[in-house]
Amino acid sequence: MFNRDGYGIVVLIGIILAILTIIEYFMGLYHVGATLLMLVAALKAILVIYFFMHVSRLWTAEGEH
Amino acid sequence: MAAVTTSAQAAAVHHDAHAGHDNYAAQLRMNRLGLWLFFISEAFLFGGLLATRFYLWGDTRPELDQEIGLIVTSVLLISSVSMRLAETAMERGNRKAFSFFILLTALFGLIFLGGVMIFEWGLFPAIYEGHLTPWGDKYGAVVFAMTGMHALHVVSGIVFIFIVWNLARKGSFSKERHWGVESCAIYWHYVDVVWIFFYPALYLIGTAAHVTH
Repeated sequence: MFNRDGYGIVVLIGIILAILTIIEYFMGLYHVGATLLMLVAALKAILVIYFFMHVSRLWTAEGEH
Repeated sequence: MAAVTTSAQAAAVHHDAHAGHDNYAAQLRMNRLGLWLFFISEAFLFGGLLATRFYLWGDTRPELDQEIGLIVTSVLLISSVSMRLAETAMERGNRKAFSFFILLTALFGLIFLGGVMIFEWGLFPAIYEGHLTPWGDKYGAVVFAMTGMHALHVVSGIVFIFIVWNLARKGSFSKERHWGVESCAIYWHYVDVVWIFFYPALYLIGTAAHVTH
């Protein structure tokens, strides 16, 4: 449905990050433990590292025109 | 004879172009590896600050405005999206969209920085009266150390953005070759990743401690 390097996937990831941030906010309000909060943070970080920081380009020739 | 010479020249040009491409690809691989090694070294710095927070605060935290925390975090996340859109625009050769999104990213970065300076540091008491100081107690010391080090990286990211934007304006990048844009974008996202961990550590984890000065 989405091209990994297209505009659509960027917006989709942005929306997922926003939803996770709001979930985090409410988890904080209801004093959910540090472990769960850090897990949500790790999930957000993985999304950014994979989709925005192109970590996979380290072991592929992607972008080497 | 002339035809043979022309054919040989064409082959030589093709060979040179191919060698040039190989050199660029090898350089790009090294650049990417170097940048990620830099991030790993930086992770020790930010990891150390996070460890300090958990060691000194435990299951408590300072009373920080939750709404402000959510807003500045959202602004930084949106800036990451706009930065990725800028990079995508450059990959597609759309310079106009690139300039728009990268300058938008810088604007979001400045808004984030303003939010930190006004609402976390309380540098402008006329707008917002902050209650933490770096020398006041363990809460102020850790908040200022973590946000200060992060803000330093935001400032350098904004400077990086303006340098890349200016180079792009002068035509230094193409949709095939734009390592400068890619590295700037990855750096900006890294600054965002750091805040992704700092936000819950500063604002959400633990119960708010009532500190009297």
